[in-house]
Amino acid sequence: MKMPADVVKMYKEIHGWVGIISGLALFIAFYAGAITMFEGPVQQWASAPSQLAPAPSLQRTPELLTKVMDAHPEAAASYEVNLVIDAHHPARLVWKSGDPEEIEHGGGTTHYASLRPDGSLQVETSGPSPVAQFIDDLHRNIGLPFDHEITMPIMGAVSMLYVIALVSGLIVLLPSLVKDLFALRFGKNVKRMWLDLHNLLGVFSLPFHIVMALTALVFAFHDQLYMAQGVAFDSGGQRPRMVAAGPSPEPLAPAEMVAKLREEAPYFEPYTLSYAAMPGGRSVVRATGGDPDYPIRTPLYGVVTADPVNGKILSVDYMPGRQDGWSEAVTSFFALHYGSFGGGPIRWAYFLLGLSGAFIFYTGNLLWVESRRKRERKAGAVEQTRATRILAALTVGVPLGCIAGIALTLSAAKPLGHAATTELHSAIYYAVFLMFTAWALVRGAARSGPELSCAAAFALLTIPAASLLATSDWPGSLSLWLVDGTAVALAVLLVRSAGGAKRRARSGPRDSVWAAKGASAIGESV
Amino acid sequence: MKPPLRASNWLGKASAGLVMGFLLALGAAGLLRTLVAGGATPFSTVGQFSMWMMAPVWALTVSLCFFFRTGPRAWVWLTLANGLVWGLVILLGGPVR
Repeated sequence: MKMPADVVKMYKEIHGWVGIISGLALFIAFYAGAITMFEGPVQQWASAPSQLAPAPSLQRTPELLTKVMDAHPEAAASYEVNLVIDAHHPARLVWKSGDPEEIEHGGGTTHYASLRPDGSLQVETSGPSPVAQFIDDLHRNIGLPFDHEITMPIMGAVSMLYVIALVSGLIVLLPSLVKDLFALRFGKNVKRMWLDLHNLLGVFSLPFHIVMALTALVFAFHDQLYMAQGVAFDSGGQRPRMVAAGPSPEPLAPAEMVAKLREEAPYFEPYTLSYAAMPGGRSVVRATGGDPDYPIRTPLYGVVTADPVNGKILSVDYMPGRQDGWSEAVTSFFALHYGSFGGGPIRWAYFLLGLSGAFIFYTGNLLWVESRRKRERKAGAVEQTRATRILAALTVGVPLGCIAGIALTLSAAKPLGHAATTELHSAIYYAVFLMFTAWALVRGAARSGPELSCAAAFALLTIPAASLLATSDWPGSLSLWLVDGTAVALAVLLVRSAGGAKRRARSGPRDSVWAAKGASAIGESV
Repeated sequence: MKPPLRASNWLGKASAGLVMGFLLALGAAGLLRTLVAGGATPFSTVGQFSMWMMAPVWALTVSLCFFFRTGPRAWVWLTLANGLVWGLVILLGGPVR
């Protein structure tokens, strides 16, 4: 395809700048996001054996409910009844306490309730491991340790830069697409090789990247977009007020509720019933669950809203298979981001696409550093500028710090057991991440590259080590060993790349930021 | 011969894309709601869909606004495009219920 030379030149420059601003944040988002494809197995891997008494049957659940409401009346405002008891949902009854704003974004304290064999109430605040959720938060906050209100606009801005990078990258590549696409020139010219890899991965995962960029933009700004529509078209855009209806009558027992739902929607398989008192005294129950034939709205389930008193379905807007065309389209946007369609194969594909995405941003940074180096040599300077050196160091330290931080905070889940909290996991991650980044800045890209690659590989190997050292009552199914296996595979890749970085530091061009200072003067620059 | 496109005057172009592109996306969402439902409520399924559609319109405007030769040109043309879309919204009665 023909494209005027000035357009290509301009967009190449734009691509470089938006890429370098957003690249490291996108690396963290993609690496952590790839792992969240297996949030379930990771959580199960990291969860200590439950201390709760076995969950009472669904028939006995009203007894549990009565005892909880007597002892903890605040639970009545909002609680969940789990219909399927497994490693992620060890308790029949769960509720949260804390600041409502925090709870909405996944914070607050979770209480897990069960009945002891003697019929007395047992309430625990330590449940399944919080580490999987922590990794998910890292993904959504692009690795920033700030409040939701601060990180969302930053994440949105990064998403916008990401769209610009995709469009500009495509425009730059189009004229030489046919010629360059399948050419992988592994040879003397390292920059050419990184560029070929960057282009090949970028073109083949373009649909995935378009989906991620646009959905992330909506996830960041949906409040503002709704508000703008409200101001423009809906005279303020306030949600309709609920009319007070007096004290709400007794809800149906969970077992009856499930039966009612089955009557109305035979193919919907409910996992959880969430009860919530709405402002104005009305209450609703949201049944979350799935229908194997339809994509779903959240990472794991679809939603049906029903009246808790008579079991009548109130809304099927989010119910798999019962949505109207508009809602189905919106659900498909969510599902496309979460990879929650097509089961295991799609999750693995998304995992690999996520990792390759992270790799694209990493190679993009390398290319930026390389092309700056060329320009400086043309201008006659031999010493690299401070900015290039710092950027090269960050390109080494930030990705490897993220990989090692996630690995160590995950493997710490096993020795920590029930003492694990989100705060502890967060402290471990950021300590490792900052140490790696500082090390790279102090030692420089050339020397820290192989060192930190090996250190990150070691961090990944603590994951299988933690599994081997864990006591036998921890869950250890075959599918969980995939978590350890994946960690080992990543560690092998890192050790190999450490070898490559070492060779380049020794015998690559000496004026490069990747050359080790003070190394013997063999290998003249090309 | 027209002067070649440059990246150095990005600020004027990008700001036009950000501001006018957002208004364009909002107008397009209003147009969709007018045409489809004669005024849908904000959290109805059509309302949600139109919110989603704002993202590609906005982001593509920002991405492609660099094709304008200068910042002022970008502002003028995108203002005209907004006039067209919002004019249609008002002409068709608008989505306001």
